[in-house]
Amino acid sequence: MSTSPERIARNVCALIFVFLPVYAAAAQTATSRIVVAANSFLSTLDQNQRQSVLFRYDDEKQRVRWSNLPTTIVRRAGLSMGELNGAQRSAALALVSSTLSPRGFEKVQQIMEGDQLLKSGEGNNMFGKNLYYISILGTPSEKDPWMLQFGGHHLALNITIAGERGVLTPSLTGAQPALYTINGKTVRPLGQESDKAVALLNALDDTQRKQAILSYRLADLVLGPGQDGKTIQPEGLQASAMNERQRGMLLDLISEWANIAQESAAAARMAELKADINETWFAWSGPATVTPGKNIAAYYRIQGPHLVIEYAPQRLGGDPAMHVHSMYRDPTNDYGRKPTK
Amino acid sequence: MKAGPVIAAILLLAGTPAGAHRLDEYLQATLISVEKGRVSAQIRLIPGVAVFPMVLANIDADGDGIISETEQRDYAERVLRDLSLMVDGNLLQLRLASIEFPTIEQMKEGLGEIRIEFDANVPRGGANRRLIFENHHRRRIAAYLVNCLVPHDPDIRISGQRRDDLQSFYQLDYVQRGVHAGPLSLAWWSGPHGLLAAATLLLCGRLALMRRPPANAG
Repeated sequence: MSTSPERIARNVCALIFVFLPVYAAAAQTATSRIVVAANSFLSTLDQNQRQSVLFRYDDEKQRVRWSNLPTTIVRRAGLSMGELNGAQRSAALALVSSTLSPRGFEKVQQIMEGDQLLKSGEGNNMFGKNLYYISILGTPSEKDPWMLQFGGHHLALNITIAGERGVLTPSLTGAQPALYTINGKTVRPLGQESDKAVALLNALDDTQRKQAILSYRLADLVLGPGQDGKTIQPEGLQASAMNERQRGMLLDLISEWANIAQESAAAARMAELKADINETWFAWSGPATVTPGKNIAAYYRIQGPHLVIEYAPQRLGGDPAMHVHSMYRDPTNDYGRKPTK
Repeated sequence: MKAGPVIAAILLLAGTPAGAHRLDEYLQATLISVEKGRVSAQIRLIPGVAVFPMVLANIDADGDGIISETEQRDYAERVLRDLSLMVDGNLLQLRLASIEFPTIEQMKEGLGEIRIEFDANVPRGGANRRLIFENHHRRRIAAYLVNCLVPHDPDIRISGQRRDDLQSFYQLDYVQRGVHAGPLSLAWWSGPHGLLAAATLLLCGRLALMRRPPANAG
């Protein structure tokens, strides 16, 4: 068999010719699949429900109507899961699922399941799976930007879809209880966020740890709900002072948020964050040890030019490791606001 | 005061679960913004369910269950008096810029957020500047947070931050490019102008001493 340079070049061109359209089709599929799921959900609704769930794309009040707090305290708009019949609820969750990765959707379900347990335990109507709301800003489209919001207590997904771009920021994930057992299985919705962070901290040498560990207590998220568009001065250890393995661990930790989004959006986001890694900071406040299988009781923050992640255990009525809030932002592109070419 | 039994009693009375609410802390989160010639800040104050009665008693002076505009302003001014802001050792005069109060019902739930914005003029100084912010408002029940926003002005660069454990004390060092320090600043005296001026003053002093007639003359 000939292996002349011309022949190799011809084969490479042929492969590109064959696979480029396939790749392009696959990339298109993500948005078109989401649009199909959105229209499918809308088709299950009656006129009143459609009016409740649809908002103008430029509705700024609705865009920022999200919180970590229960929906009975901070009212959401849209349609709650409790207002939907079985088929409508399935279609709504299928739409949410289409915008997320399998692990991202599992995380969402685990957060909701935890809230359901809170309802059973507390016997209080401010919690439970029925109190998660869905809303759509704009018209589902493969070209024009629109937005899907899904959230309730400890969950706020703000997903902007603009052509092939998918933007998941700002989003909030939280968990209470942050560790529970269901059907004999132990569940920690944000367990990887805890385990990977403490593993990274333990991988640092003494000098690096000294820089990463802040000398003061952090009682809550700094850039939580209502703090859009703000960028604080970064602190802690800059990843440029980490070795390759440690930077890899930091990226892996970041992926716990970036990879909530569906695969092509997550891949684009991870590529952006990988390019920024040397300008990304890691800061820690609180206990540096953890019981295996449990969550950390420490706050940490990861901040880069296009990223703010905060993980904040809550000292609200019990063990902070059992009640966690986390925030995921892109200060340059929250709600997909960065201009595109 | 970390009033455990009081919290339990309040929560029982309120019939609300502990988990969703801030409890025995008064969260006070400050974001500082540094500009040329000016510092502005926003402080968000969120009283927990258990400490709310104490905080409300401090705000609702006449106890009528309504927070009037006068009471809002009085409270905001009281908060400002518990803060201090210094730049290069100069204590700055804080100006109240805006006040936003939630409803009493929201605060009862541990959710109400009081927002106070204030600012201050910063006297001219050298390129290397040091800001010190202190918050002592309701210290016994407070959980403080303080941060600085990344400056919009490319001529200003944050060079260091330091806090005490509670974040009651915050020191911010920043570098301001393109400033010409005046002769009243330490930076001016430590620079070449200052050295030249000091040498001139010494020379003048020496000349004056030389020209002075002897003490026993005449």
